[in-house]
Amino acid sequence: MSAEPDGRRIGYRYAEQHQPPDPVRASDVAVTTFEHVFEVDSRLMERWVLQQQFPNWDSLRIMNSRHDHLAWMHRHFADRVVTGSELLAEVEREDRP
Amino acid sequence: MTQTDRGAGGADALSSPFTPGMRDNPEELGRYVDGIVGRPLPLVDGEPGHDEPPTPEQEFAAEWRNAAYNCFSSGHKFCREVCPVMQVTRNESWTPTAFHANVVAMEKGELSVADVAADYVNCTQCGACELRCPNTLFTGDFYRFRTRTVDVVKAVRALAVDQGVHQEGWRTWNARTDERTHEPVLGDVPVSQEHVRDWSAGLDLPIGGETVLFVDCEAAFYRTSVPRAVAQILRLAGYEFGLMGEQWCCGGPAAEMGYVDQAQRFARHNLDDWRSTGTTRVLVLDPHDYISFTEDYPRYFGDEYAGIEVVLVVELFAQLIREGRLTPSVPVERTITYHDPCRLNKRKGIWKEPREILRAIPGLTFNDVDRVTQWSYCSGGGGGLPVEKPELTAAISERRMEKAAGLDVDTLVSACPWSERPLSAAGEGQDIDVVDIHELLAVSLGIEVGGTTDGGAS
Repeated sequence: MSAEPDGRRIGYRYAEQHQPPDPVRASDVAVTTFEHVFEVDSRLMERWVLQQQFPNWDSLRIMNSRHDHLAWMHRHFADRVVTGSELLAEVEREDRP
Repeated sequence: MTQTDRGAGGADALSSPFTPGMRDNPEELGRYVDGIVGRPLPLVDGEPGHDEPPTPEQEFAAEWRNAAYNCFSSGHKFCREVCPVMQVTRNESWTPTAFHANVVAMEKGELSVADVAADYVNCTQCGACELRCPNTLFTGDFYRFRTRTVDVVKAVRALAVDQGVHQEGWRTWNARTDERTHEPVLGDVPVSQEHVRDWSAGLDLPIGGETVLFVDCEAAFYRTSVPRAVAQILRLAGYEFGLMGEQWCCGGPAAEMGYVDQAQRFARHNLDDWRSTGTTRVLVLDPHDYISFTEDYPRYFGDEYAGIEVVLVVELFAQLIREGRLTPSVPVERTITYHDPCRLNKRKGIWKEPREILRAIPGLTFNDVDRVTQWSYCSGGGGGLPVEKPELTAAISERRMEKAAGLDVDTLVSACPWSERPLSAAGEGQDIDVVDIHELLAVSLGIEVGGTTDGGAS
C-alpha cells in the first residue's frame, strides 16, 4: 500500500505498532521518538506507576489530537475584554421595547 | 516555586523540590529513590492479623486502581460536557468520573459490582471522555499512561457478567448472537449464517483470497446498501477482494457488553477462517469492527496476529481518489454536513479522509463542523446502549440532529452503519436524510447501489 500525504501508510499491522522509532534523548528525563512525541525516560516509570501497553497509533493519536485541540482553543479564544457594565447595557438595550 | 539552597551544608536533600533523574540533583537523593513516595497501600485495609482473602471486586481493583486513581485523584472533569450520556441525563452516577470512583470504592470494600453494574450500562464507549481528559490529551503520550474509561467500563461489565450480574437485554442479545453467529438486528433478511452474504446478490463476488471484505452485522442484514456500495466501488477501482469463507460477528459487541468468552470465541473463529483461505488483508467498512480488529484481536492473539493487515475502507477510498483510480464525476446536489463517527474520530483520530472523499464529490455543498467540536457529538448507537436503553440512544441522536438542523442542511453523512439507524429516526423529525458516505461516493461514481437502507421496511 502506498503512503498517505503525511507519509503514513494506511492500514494496521501488528508488528509495526509495538516498536516506536529509536529514542533520541531530549533532556535528562525525557526522550523523543516520533516527530513531536516526547516521552518520559521509561526508567522513571518502573517502580510506582507502570506504563501501559501503548501501541504507536495511540501515541500519535494523542499528540495529533492535542495539536488539533490547541488550535481549536486558539480559534475560540476571547480576543477582547468585555466589562460587566457593557454586558448589562447590552441586555438593557435588548429588553427595551 | 520557592528556591532553596539545595544540598548546601548537608541539609536534607528532600527539603527542596526536585525532578527525579536530573543530572544536577544532589547525590544524596539517590538514597531515597524507593522510599520517598511511600509504600503502596495494602489491598485490604484492615487491622493487624486481618487475613481474609480479597473479594473479586478487590482483585479487580488491584488491576485497575492506577487507572482509576489517575482520574479520581485529579478530578478535572472536562469529561462531563463531552459525554453524550451526561449531556442528556445530567446523572452524576453515570459520569466517567463516577465510573472510576466506583473502582476506588470497590478497592476500599465499600461497593460490590452488583451495586453499580446497572450504572455502567450508561456509556456508548465513544471515547470522548478519555480523549478530552487532560491526563490523556496533555500527558498521556508523554507518560505512556492515559485515562482508560472505555476499558474500565468494559472491564466492570465483564466483572458483572462473571459474578452472574446480567442486564437482561444484553443477556438475550448475546445469547441470540451466539445461536445465530451474528447479532440479531431486525430487518427483512433473517439473521443466520446462510444469509450473511445475501446483501451481495447479483454481484458475483469470489470467496476468500489474499484480501477479504468484512461486513458488520448491521450492514450485512439491515443497511445492505452500504456493503453493496463498497463492493462495487472496489470493483470499479480494479481492487481485488473476496468475501469471507464463513464470517461470524466480529465479537466486539459481546466484548463491549461484558461477554468476553463469547467475544474471544468469535474472534478465534474469524482468525482461523482468514487463515484457512490464505487471507492476509481484511478490509473493514464499519468503525466498530475496526476497533475490534485493531484493539481487541491484538490483545487476544498477540504475535499470532502478526500476519493480518487491517485496512479501513474510508482510508482506502481516499487513497484511491488521490491516486486517480476513482474519480467521482456525477454531481450530487445536496447540502450536507458530516457526522464524525466516534470510533473513527475520537478513538482512532481518523477524520481527514472522510472529508477528503466528500470534497471530491461534485455538486455537494458541505457545511462542515470541525473534529474537535464533534468530540461532544455522538449518535448514541454504540456500546450496547440501544439494546438496554433505546430511549437514551434516541435522546442522544435527537441532540445530534438538532446540531445538524442548525446548519440548514438536507443531509447528514455518516461513515458508521451503527449510527445511521438511530440518526435516521431522529432525522425524520428534522426532515434531514441520513446517508452513508460509501453510498454517496458510489452515486457520484455512477453506480446503481441497490440494497436497502432500512432493513427492507420501505
